Amino acid sequence: MEPGHQAASVSFRSVTKRYPGQAEPAIHELSLEVPAGEICVLVGPSGSGKTTALRMVNRTVEITEGDILIGGTSVRERDPAELRREMGYVIQQIGLFPHRSVGENIETVPRLLGWDRARAHRRADELLELVGLGAGVRDRFPNQLSGGQQQRIGVARALAADPPVMLMDEPFGAIDPINRERLQNEFLRLQNEIRKTVLFVTHDIDEAIKMGDRIAIIEQGGRLAQFATPAELLMAPANDFVEDFVGADRALKRLALMRVRDINLWEAPLAFVGQATAEVRAKLDGAEVPHALLVDSERRPRGWLSETDLRAETVPKSPDSGPDPVLDLDDVMRDALADLLQSETQYAPVVDAQGRIAGVLSIEIISEFLGSPDAKVEEHTAAERPLVE
Amino acid sequence: MTAAVVQLAPPLAQVTIHNRTGGNASCVAQNKVFCPGWAFDNFDRYTTPLLNQLLLVVVAVAIGFAVAFAFALFSHRRRWLIPTFTAATGVLYTIPSLAFIFLLLPITGLGWTTAIIVLSVYTLQIIYRNIVAGLANVPSESKDAGRGMGMTDGQLFWKVELPLAMPELIAGLRIATVSTVAISTLMVFANVNTLGAPLYQQIDFKTNIVIAGVLSILMAIVLDLVLLVAQRLLAPWRKPVKEAMV
Repeated sequence: MEPGHQAASVSFRSVTKRYPGQAEPAIHELSLEVPAGEICVLVGPSGSGKTTALRMVNRTVEITEGDILIGGTSVRERDPAELRREMGYVIQQIGLFPHRSVGENIETVPRLLGWDRARAHRRADELLELVGLGAGVRDRFPNQLSGGQQQRIGVARALAADPPVMLMDEPFGAIDPINRERLQNEFLRLQNEIRKTVLFVTHDIDEAIKMGDRIAIIEQGGRLAQFATPAELLMAPANDFVEDFVGADRALKRLALMRVRDINLWEAPLAFVGQATAEVRAKLDGAEVPHALLVDSERRPRGWLSETDLRAETVPKSPDSGPDPVLDLDDVMRDALADLLQSETQYAPVVDAQGRIAGVLSIEIISEFLGSPDAKVEEHTAAERPLVE
Repeated sequence: MTAAVVQLAPPLAQVTIHNRTGGNASCVAQNKVFCPGWAFDNFDRYTTPLLNQLLLVVVAVAIGFAVAFAFALFSHRRRWLIPTFTAATGVLYTIPSLAFIFLLLPITGLGWTTAIIVLSVYTLQIIYRNIVAGLANVPSESKDAGRGMGMTDGQLFWKVELPLAMPELIAGLRIATVSTVAISTLMVFANVNTLGAPLYQQIDFKTNIVIAGVLSILMAIVLDLVLLVAQRLLAPWRKPVKEAMV
């Protein structure tokens, strides 16, 4: 890899954009602090000015009032062309140059920066690997690639000079839903490695929640409605507009952001084959889970013991009901809830990577979590959150 | 004025070239559509006019392209000038060629200069419009991406806009070249020995008309093919598409 540039913070200082002849500003005193290495999603309905806000960062739209600082330096003091070469730029229409090969497209900014051919070539091959296409496509023309491949090239091209900041304007907006999901996941995995400061524009709240470490919701008239992490946004929408915008299913959306391991699980009374049932019954007294879970010698769940099972002298080999559904600590919470509801059970054993019992999840735990206003889970960056495949 | 009109008469009066030497006398005497024997023996009559005409076409199109390109470049970032340039070159295009030669007589007289001016002026409209259309058809997302990656206006023009406008630009050159070949025969009236000269020398000798006419048509076809090949080479990213008929 080329020696990387440090990601840089981006800060909007009461930025206003007024277009001549329009009474209302397109962006109204926008202030945002995006720490280095984070993905900040600008989301809002169309006409809210989110793209205008993004374009002021690389000065393809000029700021009317206020300032934008990149790593502490005002963009207004920079030569626009030089400034833009330090920022990756990805747009919805991709904008690959149809007359240039994939390799030449990726080498655009390095060549503008005066890199020699050999170095630019090496970098292009490296990036093709990074976005999962391989050097085989380097001599093709863009129109010989699928839409998804083209957008990967678009991302590779934006990363070519290893810019500290990436600007992405609805980058996956024109891709079909299945490929969009795949590209989003790929980008988050990539971001886990490269840790750029990313400004990401979308009108899709689900994409914002998925991609954002922080989300800026922008209302009509270019006003910032709320700037928060996805979990905060879903838990405590700042106003009716935000509540409306995030949707009625925000509880479920919150669950999609976390894994089973992020919540405090209950402990089940464990029972082993051949153990005296009296012992097991004693454990059941005052336990969080009112049923005993049969586990094998490796502590892997075998099933739930019924009243009939417990009437015997010792714990039987095969209990009345199996352990299903068995959940994994890494399961996405929303999927875990779906499993619980689908199998019409109250409780489900949760196992670790080795299949050993780690605790019990119940519908009650989930509803308590969603119901208590200060129930906090540890917040994850977008790249660390569960990826819905 | 009278003197000028007199000068505009073709340089050679009608002569009977077929009565001279060579070929199958009876074919010539009967004035058949094409007498191969005569053509073979007299082909050297046509080489100088052919080469003259080729030179005239190439020079005129080259000058016309240079001027039209300069106009296009100038009006590219001053879009309000485009209608003016289009109208101006359009007006020039409507001047009848004989009248044009006549208009230039007091300034440049008879000869190559006049012929080249007339022919290059006629190419302006076609070439200018095609360059402007080609630049207008460059996908806006390519321009947006180029600018967003830090290309200056000049870099964007030379590295993105012009290469992408190249197919239309060359299409314009092709039309201009073919039409220039056609008009250039008339430059015999400006006293340039093009294929128009033998045509005009004996308009009632069919073999003569066929040879001069076919040479002129072949010149148009060959030049068009050369430009077609250039178009393919300069736009390798385009899948071969049916070109518009010229």
